Amino acid sequence: MKEQLKSISLAAKQAVEICENESEIENVRVKYLGKKGELTAILKQMGGLSPEERPIMGQLVNEAKAELEELINAKREVLKAKATEEKLKAETIDITMPAKEVKVGKLHPLNTVLDDMINIFQSMGFDVVDGPEVETDHYNFECLNVPADHPARDMQDTFYLAENLLLRTQTSAAQIRTMETRKPPIRVICPGRVFRADEVDATHSPVFHQIEGLVVDKGVTMCDLKGVLEQFAHEIYGSDTKVKFRPSFFPFTEPSVEVDVTCSECGGKGCRVCKGSGWIEILGAGMVHPNVLKSCGIDPEEYSGFAFGIGLDRLTTTRYKISDIRLLFENDKRFLDQF
Amino acid sequence: MKISLKALKYYVDINVPVEELCDRMVMAGFEVESIEKEGDNLVNVVVARIADIKPHEDSDHLQICQMDIGKDELVQIVTGAQNIKVGDLVPAALNDSYLPCGAHIVNGKLRGVVSNGMLCSGEELCLTENDYEGASVNGILILKDTHPVGTDMREVLGLDDYIIDFKITANRPDCNCFIGVAKEIGVVLGTEFKMPKPEYKTVGENINDYISIEVQNYDLCPRYVGRIIKNLRIKPSPDWMQKAITASGMRPINNIVDITNFVMLETGQPMHAFNYNDLANKQIIVRNAKAGETITTLDGKDYTLTEDMLVIADGEKPSCLAGIMGGKESEIEDDTKDLFLESAKFRRDNIRHTGRALGIRTEASGRFERGVDIVNVEYASERALQLIYELDAGDIIEGSIDCNCGLPEDKIITTTTNKILELIGVEVPDKTIVSILNRLGLNASLNGKDLTCRVPSIRDDIEGRADLAEEIMRIYGYDHIVGTAMRGDVVRGKLLPERIKTNKIKKLLNSCGAYEIATYSFIASKAIDTLLLDEADERRNQIKIINPLGDEYSTMRTQLTTSMLTVLATNINKKIEDGRFFEISKRFIAKSLPLTEQPDELATMSIGIYGENEDFFTLKGLIEAICKISGAHTMYERSSEPYLHPGRQALVKANNKPVAVFGEVHPTVASAYDIDTKVYVAEIKLDVLLGIEKRKTTYKPLPKFPAVERDFAMLVNAEVPVGDIEKAITSGAGRLCEKIKLFDIYQGAQIPEGKKSVAYSVWLRSADSTLTDKEIDDVNAKIIKKLEQIGAELRK
Repeated sequence: MKEQLKSISLAAKQAVEICENESEIENVRVKYLGKKGELTAILKQMGGLSPEERPIMGQLVNEAKAELEELINAKREVLKAKATEEKLKAETIDITMPAKEVKVGKLHPLNTVLDDMINIFQSMGFDVVDGPEVETDHYNFECLNVPADHPARDMQDTFYLAENLLLRTQTSAAQIRTMETRKPPIRVICPGRVFRADEVDATHSPVFHQIEGLVVDKGVTMCDLKGVLEQFAHEIYGSDTKVKFRPSFFPFTEPSVEVDVTCSECGGKGCRVCKGSGWIEILGAGMVHPNVLKSCGIDPEEYSGFAFGIGLDRLTTTRYKISDIRLLFENDKRFLDQF
Repeated sequence: MKISLKALKYYVDINVPVEELCDRMVMAGFEVESIEKEGDNLVNVVVARIADIKPHEDSDHLQICQMDIGKDELVQIVTGAQNIKVGDLVPAALNDSYLPCGAHIVNGKLRGVVSNGMLCSGEELCLTENDYEGASVNGILILKDTHPVGTDMREVLGLDDYIIDFKITANRPDCNCFIGVAKEIGVVLGTEFKMPKPEYKTVGENINDYISIEVQNYDLCPRYVGRIIKNLRIKPSPDWMQKAITASGMRPINNIVDITNFVMLETGQPMHAFNYNDLANKQIIVRNAKAGETITTLDGKDYTLTEDMLVIADGEKPSCLAGIMGGKESEIEDDTKDLFLESAKFRRDNIRHTGRALGIRTEASGRFERGVDIVNVEYASERALQLIYELDAGDIIEGSIDCNCGLPEDKIITTTTNKILELIGVEVPDKTIVSILNRLGLNASLNGKDLTCRVPSIRDDIEGRADLAEEIMRIYGYDHIVGTAMRGDVVRGKLLPERIKTNKIKKLLNSCGAYEIATYSFIASKAIDTLLLDEADERRNQIKIINPLGDEYSTMRTQLTTSMLTVLATNINKKIEDGRFFEISKRFIAKSLPLTEQPDELATMSIGIYGENEDFFTLKGLIEAICKISGAHTMYERSSEPYLHPGRQALVKANNKPVAVFGEVHPTVASAYDIDTKVYVAEIKLDVLLGIEKRKTTYKPLPKFPAVERDFAMLVNAEVPVGDIEKAITSGAGRLCEKIKLFDIYQGAQIPEGKKSVAYSVWLRSADSTLTDKEIDDVNAKIIKKLEQIGAELRK
């Protein structure tokens, strides 16, 4: 009987081995472990055994059954995994087929750059304020130390809407409004649209954008101005960018400087972009003119400040190497999609 | 201002190369626009002696010359010229040379014989007899025997000058002249500056016997100096003067005119020369023009004057437009005998207004507009007389008539060196400060830390310590300034709430596939007409620019739609198949017209979409999303904008305030923009939308009990809007209504004429219990009742 058990077990194991799918393995289970299965049948023959042999044999049969059951289960898992694998394989797709498009728009490149700038200056503690685009002569010129007969008015061709009302030629006008409504310490930037009567061409537009910065406090110096502009330049152009002051003239600052940074294209060695000089002019700045402070009711003996004005359009066209400023206002979708 | 380097060297020692000079001047506040080297177009042409000449075997006119250019070996050059002999000195263009005519000469062969250059004629070097004697000869230019072989031809011709174009800032009119720039160079280089000292002899007599001068308006003419020169000897001015004038962009004419121009370039003070013999009554009257008076200027044009214009008149009529241009009648001509010479200061804004009104701008008027120094007026006059004397251009009459109301005292500025340095943040030794200020002619003296400067009138741009700080730093060097970090409390800057809200809307629209655009704030005056608005529509109350760049950019916009339509048209015409665009800008609303005060500038947004998958409802979806994140509850009403399709447009109310109009663009309007496809636009009053306070968010518990879904299918009159059906359902369902959804709408076969079939799903849910059958039946009945009230016929 032992022999018989052995040979059934062996046959059963072999049968499991060659199964190729779940129904075959089920057949094997029924054949050996089912109610009428061969191993079940052996148990039934145990009536002919002596009482001493019966439990021993019983244990052997049960062990054989358990072993086979385990084998069958294991095989079943293997086959199931194989079936899943085959199914997944059959479901393989061409991943290079086009995506189901999620349309995503973009900010206008001017505002992409502006947002970066706002972030930089916000992190330095500058509030962001607005000012009107239609200004009075008073705010746009008089308060900025440009009286009516001042030759500096020649520097800026102004659009007039009425005798005393004009489209602001610079965001500096917002400096005055800020100083009138806030008390020092003041630390603001004012981004905005400005207007000058420049004929439209590849590098000129009658509508352009500036970011005006203003700091007024006790003991503010030109070194502070340089520090702020260095930090700004490092964020925009990279941390090894150098900043250089060149003396210049603006009616509303004294001393006034043009600010150059090392050319980001060549790192200051000189190239076509910087016309060989290694430097690129990026903005005008200076210490707020005492007359300007005075006209806003701030005592220039007690307070000092600095201001700077950055041309956003120029910054945008140089960052993205846009050759024609008119593209910014044409709004071709293929252009807008690039930024 | 363009200045010849040679001219500058007359006033100041320049001991550095021109490039270094320019770099240092830039760092002192004088931007250099360009440096032109004279003779830059004449390269590698040298003086050569003909050592040998042999005929060319294959040619009857070519000759083979061996040229001595001062090197060990001779250079072989083949020439066709016949006017040469051994021993002649000639200009030889060597290999890789450039000639002023543009030719580039390189080694080559002529009929098989090597020629390493070219012998040049005067014509090939663009020379005339004035430049070099013999230059007009037909053939090779034979040079004088005095030049060493190998000398660069630029040196032979004296072409070693540089012309530097300095950009003079508006605060430094005193530097619009040779003397002004030379003074600065002296300070920058630390070299000696020499101011010319006018000296001359008169022929005696008394100017008062010749002329009387009366200034009637000292406000417009604070100083007027006149001189008389008799017996003019008019001829060309000397070479050095012609060169200096030409370098600065003026044309030499004759000695008298050139002297007045030269003195203007040298001192910055414009001069005017009158033909004395043409002055009626021998009188000069500086007065306002009489209304309607006329003058013919030097250029032959006639102008009619107004009373606010200043003229220099003789006893009868205007003879000169003060500070702007002389009159034709008193012009200096070759046969002019006697001269009245004017040097004056005129008020800047008056010159400017007159110049603008008449449309004239001259070298002189530009200088008067920027401002001339009242003290310098007399110096310039003296300097002109010195040149007249030295060039023997005429006989100077003794005496000068100087009309003025007193000359200004030097301005005294007192401050301390500490107060100056406070602005800069850099330590500069007191001694250095005083030395710089004195070199700049600001007469500084120091007493302890107290600094006093006596500022002459020529530097009236200097008003206080800030100006002194700039003067010190531009000479001491801005590279001494070292950046310092911001001090004070560490805070993050704040954004205005409107900017924060706007940024959210922009982000939303970007994620919905919309691109932000930017367009000009001004539009064509007629653009508004394309919207077919009523005559009385307030959007027609546009603000006009008085001096626009042209009609296209003449009118401040009261709406953004016309700009949006232009952008849609641009994209459609470029065959871009679809697009969603938005713009956030301002609409300019005048409080009254004509404009007397600043207009309202109201934040506005426009949206424009087109393409196969776009329609009224995709735009409605965008608007709803914008309103939702702005915290607004929206309602829609039919609207009647003439530029939109009459049946496909809506007014949006947010919290009962009108905030937007949107819809399909009227085909007539679209075709005005050459748009032949359906486009949809919205114009949103962002100012109103951003003004809506968003309710504070608090968490609502998620539902614990199941919802019940019921469907309602009905027939209604075709014209009943589904909005009314929704109102009926929600009011019937009351607080148990969680959500309703339109799932079918149909008109056509099997539906009676004039009716439509509409079906809604309604979800009912209670927050605190599972709904009982009775509760559900009650709500059902209420919904049905409400629906029947609007004429709906429920389908079973």
